Amino acid sequence: MNLSVLDEQKFHYCCQLLVQQSQQLKDGWCWETVTSSDEGYLKKIIVRTVVIGSRLMWNHESSRTSSSFHQKQEDQMCETENLNAEADGDDEDDGLCTFSESRSLVLQYEYHIVYSYSYSTPVLYFRAFSLEGRSVSLEDMWRSVHPSLRLSLQKNRLSTISLQEHPLLGQPFFMLHPCRTEEFMRPVLQDQLRPMNYVLVWLSVVGPLVGLDVPLKYSTQLHLPG
Amino acid sequence: GFASSSAADLKLQFAPFSSALEAGFWHQLTQKKLNDYRLDESPKCIKGYYYNGDPLGLPTRLTLEFSAFEVDGPTPAHCCPVTGTLFNTNTLDAFKTTDKKALLEKEAKEIWDAIQSGSAINDPSILCRFILLTFADLKKYHFYYWFCFPALCFPEGIKIVQPAAVLEQVFSAKQIAALQQAYDELCVKRGTTAVPYFLMKYTADTVQVAPLADWDAFVTDTKKVTIGVYDPCTLSQHPGWPLRNLLVLLANRWGSKLDIVEVLCFRDRTLQGNRSIQHSLIFHIKLPELPLNSACPKSVGWEKNSKGAMGPRMVNLSECMDPKRLAESSVDLNLKLMRWRLVPTLDLEKVVNTKCLLLGAGTLGCNVARTLMGWGVRHITFVDNAKISYSNPVRQPLYEFEDCLGGGKSKAMAAVERLSKIFPGVNAVGHNMSIPMPGHPVSFSQATLSQAQEDVEQLEKLISEHDVIFLLMDTRESRWLPTVIAASKRKLVVNAALGFDTFVVMRHGLKKPPATLSVSAGPDSSPSCSSASSSSSTPAGGAASFSGSSLFSNIPGHKLGCYFCNDVVAPGDSTRDRTLDQQCTVSRPGLAMIAGALAVEMMVSILQHSEGGYAVASSSDDRMNEPPTSLGLVPHQIRGFLSRFDNVLPASLAFDKCTACSATVLDHYEREGFSFLSKVFNSSHSFLEDLTGLTLLHQETQAAEVREESEQSKMGGENPSVGLEKSRAR
Repeated sequence: MNLSVLDEQKFHYCCQLLVQQSQQLKDGWCWETVTSSDEGYLKKIIVRTVVIGSRLMWNHESSRTSSSFHQKQEDQMCETENLNAEADGDDEDDGLCTFSESRSLVLQYEYHIVYSYSYSTPVLYFRAFSLEGRSVSLEDMWRSVHPSLRLSLQKNRLSTISLQEHPLLGQPFFMLHPCRTEEFMRPVLQDQLRPMNYVLVWLSVVGPLVGLDVPLKYSTQLHLPG
Repeated sequence: GFASSSAADLKLQFAPFSSALEAGFWHQLTQKKLNDYRLDESPKCIKGYYYNGDPLGLPTRLTLEFSAFEVDGPTPAHCCPVTGTLFNTNTLDAFKTTDKKALLEKEAKEIWDAIQSGSAINDPSILCRFILLTFADLKKYHFYYWFCFPALCFPEGIKIVQPAAVLEQVFSAKQIAALQQAYDELCVKRGTTAVPYFLMKYTADTVQVAPLADWDAFVTDTKKVTIGVYDPCTLSQHPGWPLRNLLVLLANRWGSKLDIVEVLCFRDRTLQGNRSIQHSLIFHIKLPELPLNSACPKSVGWEKNSKGAMGPRMVNLSECMDPKRLAESSVDLNLKLMRWRLVPTLDLEKVVNTKCLLLGAGTLGCNVARTLMGWGVRHITFVDNAKISYSNPVRQPLYEFEDCLGGGKSKAMAAVERLSKIFPGVNAVGHNMSIPMPGHPVSFSQATLSQAQEDVEQLEKLISEHDVIFLLMDTRESRWLPTVIAASKRKLVVNAALGFDTFVVMRHGLKKPPATLSVSAGPDSSPSCSSASSSSSTPAGGAASFSGSSLFSNIPGHKLGCYFCNDVVAPGDSTRDRTLDQQCTVSRPGLAMIAGALAVEMMVSILQHSEGGYAVASSSDDRMNEPPTSLGLVPHQIRGFLSRFDNVLPASLAFDKCTACSATVLDHYEREGFSFLSKVFNSSHSFLEDLTGLTLLHQETQAAEVREESEQSKMGGENPSVGLEKSRAR
């Protein structure tokens, strides 16, 4: 059995084990099936606040239109605001906890692990969006990464991130390109005596590149049972 | 004492929900609106959820995702589902004018009725609900929305008797473990992974929990009742929103019997695989009276927008939902991949922002345009005066059979139309116009003359407005005018011409800017002394030029020739000056694709050079050397011989008697303008030959012509006319 090549069946099996462990650790991974097909993917959502410094990132957008779009959006909001001032009645709600802290930017990160038939490897798809559902651009995504880390990430050939259509959902996602996955997984999985959970090992390598931590506790069940 | 009097002033405050929408929600709403709802504005049942395991500092969120429309679908593990009502309006106006207060009051009344009837005790999920008002502008992919989380209010608020403390300060480790176990057992018993509200009893060693519906059997001591709420808030002093209506229920059902209510805000997080509930909050309150059969209390709940004001939110998702924007970003990213993976120093911005003028929209024009699109060039302008004929579509990939019907569409216009179909993000413009040519008189009437003047002005304007001018016409003489204008305006010219199985792709020499032209006019006009000089303007070429010692190596961009520099006759009526251009319709079909692609690739390589059009010409000899750009060589010319499947990279100097780019011609053009040009158009070719001194040259060299021809052919196809004429004759 050649374990450095992952067929779909084995992928599903590894995912199933990972979900079981995740449930024990409450790590948030779940298996999502796509309606009208028996295909599926692993999914995890993490919500994070982005530090104040990178709050500027919304104003620094390099693309030609986005910042002006944002401005227009605010303006239009004002316009609709005026017509809606009395929705709650006149009284202030004194049971409402109003916190005056400067609200830092909250981003929802969504990670998917999808099987690639072309590469016979798992592929990590991910996206981030504001609480409004607005996607974060690749440039912004990079900007939200700590500068020192960013440099090493950009140098790292494993971390080539691009925008791709999600193979199962058809929506745009960022993707860690799998062209080198087989290469770096091969030595790890040469131990034929104690086969390891391919998906878990792979995830522990690529996950941290895009802010996805794999708790050490997973390692207690790194090897496939039986 | 002191503590109780200060506590008496404290009123309980609740952290409101922040709406959190995943991108998938908007995608799904769009699908629903297009396929199911259409113009139906009736309320729809949808679903969200909240979670009590967030790390500190995150806002209390109610999340709606892709699956929000599947009300009976599963909820993520350890999350509490919330049912809501979606009001999706058909117009922005309806969105604005919807009576929000009425919506809220209607929803509040339903909650109040469920409390009064007691059905909320058996199904407390009614206590936590939401309203979502939306308008989806699917032309712009703008989504307007406003959430409401209805809450019933006590007129005088809720008094805090004992402020919030974290559980581990109140409970022993044993009690905490017992609570965790009891809660988990309740979940298992109820077949869920989260219970929103529960009753609680505890001793020093034990903790018991029970569903709300078990009140009568479970609550034996009404002096102090402990109530548990699955609490999504992470603040250290405040409970989240779900507790709010529960307290109304308690006050309404049992308020008269209760003295003090102890509230456990149950928070349950797992970090790095370690679960903890000891940061849960616990506090005591005194519930106000809220008698049965009283009127529905005041309600609140519309969410504030991002500015903290009472108003709707709007999110612009065109970037991730508009197919046209998606195509644009995909094209960009595809190109960036080239940079990330293979050519890290590639300057794509330079390429993408280059404005390209394509003179000719035939076989070459079509192929050049497609390759430019491949490079992400957005600004493409076509000039052509021809109509699409039946023979065109098979060779000209922007046209189809249909385009030939009814006399044929204008090529320039049809090309633009097709480019926009291929890629809507392109900024393509077409000009159906002729380019006046030498030897093709324009002086038949005042009308023809003024038309020619108009065409010249239009061409001058177009050349000024673009960065790179592609000469892709099928006659040699039509290249003359744009060559002169572009040379005068110091625009980069890329020229492609086809023989039967040969082609030339070349960049014209880019004259130095006018200011410095007068200084270097001397050396420029005498090509014989060129290769050793000019090291000042091209430092890279300076040293090599001495060792190279060939006349044709290391020619800086400003000394390179144009298409006409190698000719010893002026362009004129093509029936007499038959050159390779006329053969274009009988060229091998693959040739236009090869030449068109090379023309664009040459442009891209030039743009990557720090000196652009002034870059020293690379030659075939440079193939083994360190390339001058990240993409490789920057030749002057690429001459291809399909019969041998071979390309050579010759370079040649500007000719001081050139009929197009010589100082004499440019001077006359710049000083006299159209009156000079019209003389060229109306005269025979001898006019330009006399002007530039070619006539004299002819006379002087007539005797030596045979010898010269043979010498030129020894140099291996460096003279275009000779090399190509030969291959055509074969």
